[in-house]
Amino acid sequence: MAVVTEQQKAGLGEPAGWRRTKNRIATILMWLSFVVVIIPLVFVLYTVIAKGISVISWQFLTSPIPPSVAPADVGGIGPAVLGTLEITALATVMAVPLGILGAVYLNEYGGTNWLSRLVGFMSDVMTGVPSIIMGLFIFSIWVLHFGFSGLAGAFALGCLMLPIVIRSTYEMLRLVPDALREGSYALGASKSRVTLTVVLPAAVGGIVSGALLAVARAAGETAPLLFTILGGLSVANPNVFSGANTALSLLIFTNASSPYPGAQARGWGAALTLIAIAFILMIAARIVTARYARYQH
Amino acid sequence: MSAVQQADQAAPGSVPAGGLIGHRGLGDRSFQWLALAAGLLVLLILVLIAVTTTQQASSWFTTEGLGIFGTVWDPAANKFGALPFIYGTAVTGVIALVMAVPVSVGIALLLTEVVPFRIARPIVYVVDLLAVVPSVVWGLWGILVFATWIQHIYASIGSAVNGIPVLGALFGPPTSGASFFTAGIILAFMITPIVTSLSREVIATVPTIDREGAYALGSTRWEMIRGVVWPHSQGGVVGAVLLGLGRAMGETIAAALVIGSSPTITSHLFSTGYNMPAVIANQFGESTGVWRAGLMGLGVLLFAFTIIVNVIARGIVNRSARRMRGA
Amino acid sequence: MQRVRVRGVAAAGVALAAMALSLAACSSSSTGTSSGGSSSSLSGTLNASGSTFQLPFQQAAIQAFKSVQSGMTVNYGGGGSGKGRSDLASGVVQFAGSDSPIPSDEVANFKGKTVLYFPVFLGPITMSYNLSGVKNLKLDPAVIADIFQAKIKTWNDPAIKAINPGVNLPSTPISLAVRSDSSGTTANFSLFLMTAEPSIWKLGSSSTINWPSGAHAGNGNGGVAQIVKSTPGAIGYVDYADAKASGLTFASVKNSAGNYIAPSPSSASAAGTTVTLKPDLTFAAVWSSSPQAYPITYQSWDLVYQKQSSANTAKMLKAYIGYLIGDGQKLLTSLGYAPLPSNIDSKAKAQLSKIGS
Repeated sequence: MAVVTEQQKAGLGEPAGWRRTKNRIATILMWLSFVVVIIPLVFVLYTVIAKGISVISWQFLTSPIPPSVAPADVGGIGPAVLGTLEITALATVMAVPLGILGAVYLNEYGGTNWLSRLVGFMSDVMTGVPSIIMGLFIFSIWVLHFGFSGLAGAFALGCLMLPIVIRSTYEMLRLVPDALREGSYALGASKSRVTLTVVLPAAVGGIVSGALLAVARAAGETAPLLFTILGGLSVANPNVFSGANTALSLLIFTNASSPYPGAQARGWGAALTLIAIAFILMIAARIVTARYARYQH
Repeated sequence: MSAVQQADQAAPGSVPAGGLIGHRGLGDRSFQWLALAAGLLVLLILVLIAVTTTQQASSWFTTEGLGIFGTVWDPAANKFGALPFIYGTAVTGVIALVMAVPVSVGIALLLTEVVPFRIARPIVYVVDLLAVVPSVVWGLWGILVFATWIQHIYASIGSAVNGIPVLGALFGPPTSGASFFTAGIILAFMITPIVTSLSREVIATVPTIDREGAYALGSTRWEMIRGVVWPHSQGGVVGAVLLGLGRAMGETIAAALVIGSSPTITSHLFSTGYNMPAVIANQFGESTGVWRAGLMGLGVLLFAFTIIVNVIARGIVNRSARRMRGA
Repeated sequence: MQRVRVRGVAAAGVALAAMALSLAACSSSSTGTSSGGSSSSLSGTLNASGSTFQLPFQQAAIQAFKSVQSGMTVNYGGGGSGKGRSDLASGVVQFAGSDSPIPSDEVANFKGKTVLYFPVFLGPITMSYNLSGVKNLKLDPAVIADIFQAKIKTWNDPAIKAINPGVNLPSTPISLAVRSDSSGTTANFSLFLMTAEPSIWKLGSSSTINWPSGAHAGNGNGGVAQIVKSTPGAIGYVDYADAKASGLTFASVKNSAGNYIAPSPSSASAAGTTVTLKPDLTFAAVWSSSPQAYPITYQSWDLVYQKQSSANTAKMLKAYIGYLIGDGQKLLTSLGYAPLPSNIDSKAKAQLSKIGS
């Protein structure tokens, strides 16, 4: 029978002073790291909102882009808004179906064979490729032969979005229980039918929210557009397939180097618009996830 | 597919279209090929990128030879040495990591060990908000607001340490709001979300049983983290850090706006500098001939670096995750 | 029973497209008004890029030109003289703005096609600086050369004090603001230093210069102006139109006759009177011999291929460039440029007929 000494009793209770202090310090440091992250975020959002809100208006969002020297109340960023919307939409239309199909291949058809593992791995690696490389790539194979256009920009953005959509769709498809698939096979359905009518609809919430996040990322990108759409427009180009175009991100990049208060104000307004678009897409993604969450833990 | 066979024989009379054993319809087969093609597209794009950019950069490699690692980039004198940019990419990446990693790991630990789920959600939202801010907006704020504010701090530090042996070389004059250090700070803000979320994923795979065992033995939370969480997840966290480094190296626009655009190799961190993606962004539009090939070559080097870093990082993360799942 | 919602993504795409189309309708309906004034109505788009020195003028001219030819759209992308020449060589633009003639190492890019130079205006390069309390700084070429080679590092250096007696110069370190892109402004600024002080200026004359370490480089004249504006103790070379519009303070510079002249359209015009015009209409206005001339005056051209691929493009180019060297010259003085001297202007107008297809 062991005798419980005073020393042992102390060990089973509260930890001794120095250990407790170390624990406290560690906890404080962890909270501090969160605070350190909040500070720049608040500053950026505050600055963008404060400086952008004074220029934003429906007229601002639809008027042509005036010369850089023009004051803030003249003109607007209409061509850039249109450009971002149409180029991102085109990129989405190209990348999302291909991304979903790619994830379908990885999860439903590929299994564990070497090719599918290579594709999955390389798709992850591709999410880390700098976006400027995509721009250089599309410049070399498309722009040099066919000129600047919103389509070229959409290609570059699509290359950026593809691995993101593949990865997020893959994660969603993995969560769909095999019981669903097996039940459908048991009823005699072919694999494509199972995938299209059972698996994809079951995962649709996660797929859509993943796609929305990819769109938000693409809408904010500048580097892929630098060498593909030319920019510098004053009047909107509704034709996304031919002719130079501009975009919010490109406009912000150009105006960030401008000394004129009017151009800078337009830059802040465009930044607010861009953040609003990305924010709306992010909220939409969360709403879709929450509404359709079936198989998430 | 014997289950299908049995079910089929059980169903009275009806023969489902496509899916009978041994006979797959054209639609089914073409869907499979389509899915395979979509998957292969990723490989195709990566290979094409590597091939086309290297081809466009070939005249730089052949003209400069080993001079591609020269220290002078002077288009007027036809000198295209890439070392200033490689140096800048490395320096800003290191500064970004030094600042972002402790913060990101701290937040990851906060989320997994300290706060209950209800409070964790808003914290995750805040970190995700950091990721929603586009790179160009970071750059806009960085150059118009942050750099103009911090240049005075740099100037004070610079004049204070001027002449002191190591500190003076690192933080002494010339100082500028747009500099290696500012770029490093902005990059740190940008890579925090990805390092945090990946670290969280890795730390979450630590078996609860090990955690509870440590608590049962009377350890404080910090001791549990040091003794249980860290050994299990250090591989994964290293992988997450490498991914953050890859992202920091490739981040173009924010760096281009706040780094100062001066191709020099200097130890002064508060002084203007340059890095690989920024020079490509700034100079590509007007470059011709060997100059353009040189910028493409920088793109090739950047592509190669980020691919290598990402492959290593993903490998580490996958391996540690697999090990954890097995345990 | 769950409905197939994969269409949800397509629905979002349709919604985005609908939004895009309605925005297109909104913005295209707010383009310029049409008015009579041109005998033949042209339609089409001209794309251009290049010199940021020309950017304020091009933007104003494009707007004004809408009432002359409402069916034409002109886009001027800026980006620096080097970019303009490179874009013209690769055929992505129809004309390029450049502040310096095509350098010898770029000639091969044009594959032997004849390029016509149309001078558009002259203007000063200011020495803009940011020093609170110092309003009327004087600089001479030797001091400028030493500042931009980082031989003079602080504002209260004896060399600067010597030519500014009575001015209270602080001990602030000098921050250099320079161009990061390939620039005609850089080319002309360095040409001025090389011509005025060849023994002191060692960095040559070119669209890109190997500036000393610590220089902060910006994109376009606007970028340099922004650096000067936001950095106390900075000095940079910015064209007059951009400097004036940014509210910068600039120095008076000593010219070849020994007078300290402030930059302005009239001192730039004075420089224009002494230029030697080459047959292809290129010239250099820096370091003019005229006593009232601003010594760092320079010029800009619009470069066009003599042979165009389509007759419509040739007509559009003749119309727009004709406007720039004709009625458009009236826009110049208020923006801060000097109009072309009449002899150069008439030769440029005569060259218009050479653009053909």
